[in-house]
Amino acid sequence: MSWKEAAEPVLTRMPSVTRPEGHVPFRRKLGWTAGVLVLYFFLTNVTLFGLQTQTTSGDFYGQFRSILAGSTGSLLQLGIGPIVTASIVLQLLGGANLLGLDTDDPRDQVLYQGLQKVLVLAMICLTGLPMVFASNYLPPSGEVAAALFGSSGALMPVRALIFAQIAVGAVLILFMDEVISKWGVGSGIGLFIIASVSQQLVAGLFATEALANVTGFFPAWVGIVTGGIDLEGSLLEALLFEPGNLLAMVTTLFIFAVVVYAESVRVEIPLSHARVKGARGRFPVKLIYASVLPMILVRALQANVQFLGQILYSQLGDVGMPDWLGVYSDGQPVGGLFYYLDPVQSREQWMWFIYAPAGDPLDIAVRVLIDLTVMVVGGAIFAIFWVETTGMGPESTAQQIQNSGMQIPGFRRNPQVIEKVMERYIPQVTVIGGALVGFLAVLANLLGTIGGVSGTGLLLTVSITYKLYEEIAEEQLMEMHPMMRTMFGGD
Amino acid sequence: MSSGQNSGGLMSSAGLVRYFDAEDRNAVRIDPKTVVAFGVLFGVLVMLLRFMV
Repeated sequence: MSWKEAAEPVLTRMPSVTRPEGHVPFRRKLGWTAGVLVLYFFLTNVTLFGLQTQTTSGDFYGQFRSILAGSTGSLLQLGIGPIVTASIVLQLLGGANLLGLDTDDPRDQVLYQGLQKVLVLAMICLTGLPMVFASNYLPPSGEVAAALFGSSGALMPVRALIFAQIAVGAVLILFMDEVISKWGVGSGIGLFIIASVSQQLVAGLFATEALANVTGFFPAWVGIVTGGIDLEGSLLEALLFEPGNLLAMVTTLFIFAVVVYAESVRVEIPLSHARVKGARGRFPVKLIYASVLPMILVRALQANVQFLGQILYSQLGDVGMPDWLGVYSDGQPVGGLFYYLDPVQSREQWMWFIYAPAGDPLDIAVRVLIDLTVMVVGGAIFAIFWVETTGMGPESTAQQIQNSGMQIPGFRRNPQVIEKVMERYIPQVTVIGGALVGFLAVLANLLGTIGGVSGTGLLLTVSITYKLYEEIAEEQLMEMHPMMRTMFGGD
Repeated sequence: MSSGQNSGGLMSSAGLVRYFDAEDRNAVRIDPKTVVAFGVLFGVLVMLLRFMV
């Protein structure tokens, strides 16, 4: 008996959001999307019950927060972390063809959907339990323990309460994503990433000292021009880095431009209709074919490695933790294996010639090289897996082209022949695109970005927004011409 | 789109979680309104709890 039969009773019973019957008008779709977005922002602002009021222990996800969405200490503490981690497992299993699920078969589709949800639930426990019980990032409040359980020492039940809340929050994120995917525009996860990155980006541009304790780009420049902010040290340094931040601005704009440009770089394979003469089309193989989404998987992998380090450190303590594994100071790795595996997230972490405590140049070089290798190689590998598991590979696209009645002029009308042509382009473009995106993400991190949103966060936001724009344009086209709906395979 | 995320024309790219048309008869169905309503109520409940204790 394969695992499928054994797991079937569980997987097929996973709850799911109902699908809309028939066409959902565009306005209604926007309504659902906006509604869920408001709910998301509301939940990120609800502080966990039972948490100590003064928490200064920082964010568990640290610099990874911008791509994992959510907000520390809130109901959405876990953000999309469990979903991304579950997706990594699925991608690896699916990419290595260990699942044996055929996503064209309705029976297997149901199993696949169920498996996704079971994995997310498992990941909620795997990340949530150690986060609440084994680390001090979510300290339970003694007052609440005293009020509810009679003694201020009864912290265990309070921790359990905290875990229950973040678990419910994480499950809510999963279903909110499903609501948007089925009833709204785009995907919920994409939307939550854009929301959290945009929030940081806007803060990085406009925040003022009085409002948020940080000075954004524009208020800083107003200060520089009016003389409110003194430029210390060399003028060039002050303008490029703090407080001028010109380098971060240039990097941010550069990433925007590169992604939008790369979205339009494509190899176009001409198509013609087999029966309708004169009906022509093109199949675009975009440079960022697999999009930037696989990148989040690589970053999440790194985040999980750091997560493991944090848990080990909090369990073993300063003395118990071997030095080769990790030396921690203020909750950040400063030496050992976990230091080298920690991606460089900001200029302060590597510019030893400006920021004094950045560390030894040789250490930093090793760390940057490891990060670059992981991102470029990992980006390429996950891009390939992504293309295979989402039905964008040569075989699936050949079948799609065949089914749509198109053919490549000059070739026999046969899926195997189309697949051969596709194989000349798709794998190469995928690998180049994945590696390029990985390189860009590291580069942006090294140079710094506005609001410290991290290179991956910025890449994701630009490319998701671009996709969203395309999807909205397509939706509007279908609204205006009901005939188009049948062409796009709608109902 | 008939099968949701995986049929956006020829060029398709799914979200991190993929949803298909096929659904099992045994599966528990949730109305999207229920999800949103539960989210709002849950948030308000936690806020009230913090307020009271």
